[in-house]
Amino acid sequence: MMKKNPLLINSILFILLILFIVLPFIPLVLTSVSFGWRWPDVLPERLSWQAWEYVLLGADTWKAVGLSLWIALVVTAVNILLAVPAANAFARYPIRGRWLFEAIIFAPIIIPPFVAVMGIHLTFLRLGLTETIFGVVLAHLSPTLPYVVRAVMISYQTLSTDWEDQARMLGAGPISRFYYVVLPHLLPGIAAGASLSILISLSQYLITFIIGSGQVVTLPILLFPFISGGDPAIASAYSLLYAAMAIGALIGLDTALKKYYRNKRAAAGMG
Amino acid sequence: MSDLRIINIEKQYRQTRRKGDAVFSLKPVDLTIREGEFFSLLGPSGCGKTTLLKLVAGLIDADKGEIWIGDSNLTAVPPEARRFAMVFQQSLLFPHMTVEDNTAFGLKMQKVGQQERLAQAQEMLGHVGLEGFGSRFPHELSGGQQQRVALARALVSNPRVLLMDEPFSALDPGLREEMRELLRKIHQQLRVTVLFVTHDREEAFYLSDRIAIMSEGALLQVGRAKDLYERPNSTKVASFLGVKNIIEGTVADGRFVSADQHFESAAHKPGETGNRFMILRPEAVQLSADSAEGLANMMRVSGVLQEMRFKNGFYSGKVQAGTYLLECTFSKRQAERAAIGEQIDLMVDMKDVWFVEQ
Repeated sequence: MMKKNPLLINSILFILLILFIVLPFIPLVLTSVSFGWRWPDVLPERLSWQAWEYVLLGADTWKAVGLSLWIALVVTAVNILLAVPAANAFARYPIRGRWLFEAIIFAPIIIPPFVAVMGIHLTFLRLGLTETIFGVVLAHLSPTLPYVVRAVMISYQTLSTDWEDQARMLGAGPISRFYYVVLPHLLPGIAAGASLSILISLSQYLITFIIGSGQVVTLPILLFPFISGGDPAIASAYSLLYAAMAIGALIGLDTALKKYYRNKRAAAGMG
Repeated sequence: MSDLRIINIEKQYRQTRRKGDAVFSLKPVDLTIREGEFFSLLGPSGCGKTTLLKLVAGLIDADKGEIWIGDSNLTAVPPEARRFAMVFQQSLLFPHMTVEDNTAFGLKMQKVGQQERLAQAQEMLGHVGLEGFGSRFPHELSGGQQQRVALARALVSNPRVLLMDEPFSALDPGLREEMRELLRKIHQQLRVTVLFVTHDREEAFYLSDRIAIMSEGALLQVGRAKDLYERPNSTKVASFLGVKNIIEGTVADGRFVSADQHFESAAHKPGETGNRFMILRPEAVQLSADSAEGLANMMRVSGVLQEMRFKNGFYSGKVQAGTYLLECTFSKRQAERAAIGEQIDLMVDMKDVWFVEQ
């Protein structure tokens, strides 16, 4: 009796979706277009586009959005470069004391970022990396890398070495083997890891704030002061913009991936 | 002249990570496989035949020994540069490439132009009976078709040696026979040197020019199928090839007498003495004819018929003779003359009796 009532299950899921995802956005949207909305009013008395004007027309905003996305992209690219060989080693080679290496790489998932970032900050101060985008990118690697390694590792674990042996016996050298056989298999894992990496990097506040010392202004850095006591309307508008940016980044990644597969198919169909 | 020579190749597996795994070693193997020959490595699973194949491929590094082809030493050459091809148990077609691209992969690695390599791939797909399948993806094919593509992919770049690791063992019996015939046909057409690993003796007998029997990491005997079957050099080879009538005894004064005194015959060579095993192939053991013709060259044994089973076209009987339960193959006419539980007389032509040393 698995297919008990698909309609019922679907409607429950739909209601939950509305309840937990769409509903919280409503007050956010309302706040962003209100002026002096106070208890006990159920709805704002006056609508105003002031907050949106401030957010959308401010030069700071677009610079921050651009910088956030740029940092997220660079962090993700570096993550992929680091994670593929690391995952290969973890998944395939019998390394002595491998649990120790795994523990170090996966530690940021469990240990609060604050703990690590204090140490990183001191070191970066000495190296002169604070207040630089490069420093922020480096600092963002620690909370994002574990997710990318994890995702790529799972892809590697499902790839039997027989495939590479087969390619080898057909005359493929190491680069060809990676490009034609390994990479296509890893791609879904890399995509999963990359989307996590982008989202986590975009949402970093504390690390960016401490390492960037307020000089590297990403969207969360702009957003926070308004939440903690500034203008709730502007904070709401920024929050919505932030959500749009994150969703936009994910959709962008998704379409790029789909396009890649479509091109592959098309190329295969033509040949 | 480019024979494949395997010179004293040797591999030891010391401690494996998993506990309980026996330490495995491949004892030195010395073999020459002639150009264009179909050579099989036959043995039970775990006997080291796949290890030997991978050593030849270069996928495993040997501890000692060398691999030569013609005049070139390939021992230090990486597998991708050996110009060998390999077909595995699974077809291992690249899932994101079409059948055509899969087939042409080896040529692509050799930097052959697209037009050229696709034309060659299509021709080779024709050889394996898959014309018109080029634009499909591997998951759209049946298991047998996938293995045909794997075969075409291996052959298309004209390899010096084709290595095959139990390529048909994952297929249904009917399909397996079909593939066997296809492979035999293709081997006759292309005359490529094949090194074939299998545990299926029927498959090895059907396909091979020569066979090497392996057991526990060692080569037991190398030869043509008929020679191995009729003249095994050990009881291990005989029993692996399905001859279970192995009678223990001694040879003295030109006579063989079994340990239970039930079997007695002339020995082959005059003057030899010592402990021997007498090997009787099931089809060599016949019911005694009433007439006494040619008695001189016959060994006679009496026994009680225990069992008679019909197999395709003949009967397989079990006869209790002394302490041995002999397996015999009877024709329908012979089978009709005997009844279960009856005392019967058997005879074996001395030409069909084979002795091996203990």
